[in-house]
Amino acid sequence: MSKCRIPLGPFHPLLEEAEFFDIKVEGEKVVDIEMETGWMHRGHEKLSESMSYTQSIFLVERICGICSTSHPFALVNAIEDIDDIQIPERAKYIRVLIGEIERIHSHLLWLGLAGHFIGYDTLWMWCWKYREPILQLSELVSGNRNHYAMMRVGGVGRDFDNATIPKYHKVLDDLEKQMIMLAGAAKDDPVLRSRLKGVGILTKEDAINYCANGPTARASGVDIDVRRDDPTAYEVVDVNVITLPHGDVYDKLVVRVLEVIDSVKIMRQCLKAFPKVGGPVLNPVKEISPGEGCGRYEAPRGEVFHYIRSDGTNRPLRHKVRAPSFSNIPTYKASCVGIPLADALITLAAVDPCYCCTERTIRTTDVNNKKVDAELLSLSRAKTEKIRKSIMKNDKSPIDRIFDKA
Amino acid sequence: MNQEFFKKFEGKFTKIIENKPRKRYYFNVKNEDIREVADYLFNNMGCRLSICTATEVYDGLEVLYHFSDDKTGTFYNPRVKTGLKNPEINSIVSITEGANWIEREMYDLFGIKFTGHPDLKKLLTFENPHFKETDHPMRLKRDKDK
Repeated sequence: MSKCRIPLGPFHPLLEEAEFFDIKVEGEKVVDIEMETGWMHRGHEKLSESMSYTQSIFLVERICGICSTSHPFALVNAIEDIDDIQIPERAKYIRVLIGEIERIHSHLLWLGLAGHFIGYDTLWMWCWKYREPILQLSELVSGNRNHYAMMRVGGVGRDFDNATIPKYHKVLDDLEKQMIMLAGAAKDDPVLRSRLKGVGILTKEDAINYCANGPTARASGVDIDVRRDDPTAYEVVDVNVITLPHGDVYDKLVVRVLEVIDSVKIMRQCLKAFPKVGGPVLNPVKEISPGEGCGRYEAPRGEVFHYIRSDGTNRPLRHKVRAPSFSNIPTYKASCVGIPLADALITLAAVDPCYCCTERTIRTTDVNNKKVDAELLSLSRAKTEKIRKSIMKNDKSPIDRIFDKA
Repeated sequence: MNQEFFKKFEGKFTKIIENKPRKRYYFNVKNEDIREVADYLFNNMGCRLSICTATEVYDGLEVLYHFSDDKTGTFYNPRVKTGLKNPEINSIVSITEGANWIEREMYDLFGIKFTGHPDLKKLLTFENPHFKETDHPMRLKRDKDK
């Protein structure tokens, strides 16, 4: 069978930071995949070296719109690591609260988009509807729906208002019920199961070899979570690390649904603590000593890593940033090869790289250099529709079957 | 501190800096030993390669590896130094595939060649019309006349 080469990207809905995928297919089967990056490189590391530590916090907040507290969280951890700066107890709870709000809205966004990609637009609209009150909570705590600007070296920039606690409880009560309903749907829906189960498997060995992190690694049975393993603010709450063994897209979906439910529990622990834990939320820090520090934080997509080298001035000498997708995207080499092209889209989306929602087409060039336009999204949706129809056919009532025979 | 690890490589590590409360260990390693150290950290101790950081310092270039021991929350950071002219360091891609992209990125931005890398091409400025093959944007622009 002849091989086709499918260039995908660099601008397409799958990834917010543009990526180029060179997919080689044999018939319908993906036989090789190459990734290229660099279209969205904005030189944050170099920019940060010309800014003060406080300015850098706001700079790294703009690396990603979804992980807009994860990067500042990891950066302040790295700066605090140099001098072993301790932060007040109340600031720890506020950091955890913000972090978990972000995890919930990021996971719900991914769940919605995953549904959209496989032709489950109801799931998409449900998830985004449930996400909205969470964004309002982030506005309540920080004044912003995005780019919260809460992190400071030595604590947080804004105190939590205890009078708003009942509002949080109401939203969390509703969300918990909705998530349990979603988990039930994922468990019982035969179309969702047959569409995602066994698709794009990343084995535990591959996850370890590629140094995958976050839900991508946890869905492959790798028991890691920075919130538990290297806590900087999270030691004040109990974190339940969810791992599943199969490494397919279905497990990645279930891990995220269960993590949302766990995040609700963590937020409740914070809300319970706020009336009891008073005091300041910021330890004043005058200067940073010469030295080096590593800071990390478990973002919704995985471990965010920041490294700071200080020479005693108010600017970093070297600032290294690594987002989780940098480690997770190369795992496509292991998870995409051997699967049908219709499943490639959801497998590429399953590691939750940043993606936007523009419609896209792909251009296929066959061996005779003849160009064929096709839509990967419609391929994926057509497969779901086919499965749905076949299940509906088998699930017909006995009376329908009698009529069919007649 | 993992006594067994530091005892095994006794004499090979120099300038060990220990940040005890945060469980971070920084130490210098020679280029010829980095593969053995990385292999021990990755395969024997089950550490994960978080990332590597390349930095241009006064007398050369250095690469700092960040190995995360997730069971204990410890970071092991071996550091390898190389010269400014023709910087070359042994690749660890044969030990972990996770080093593939970061070594390509360091080659791209700093021009450090990784010996034994299976496909050492630029990662970020690959085919970028603004950068030539010899351009490495994160290198300092030193005055060559001095």
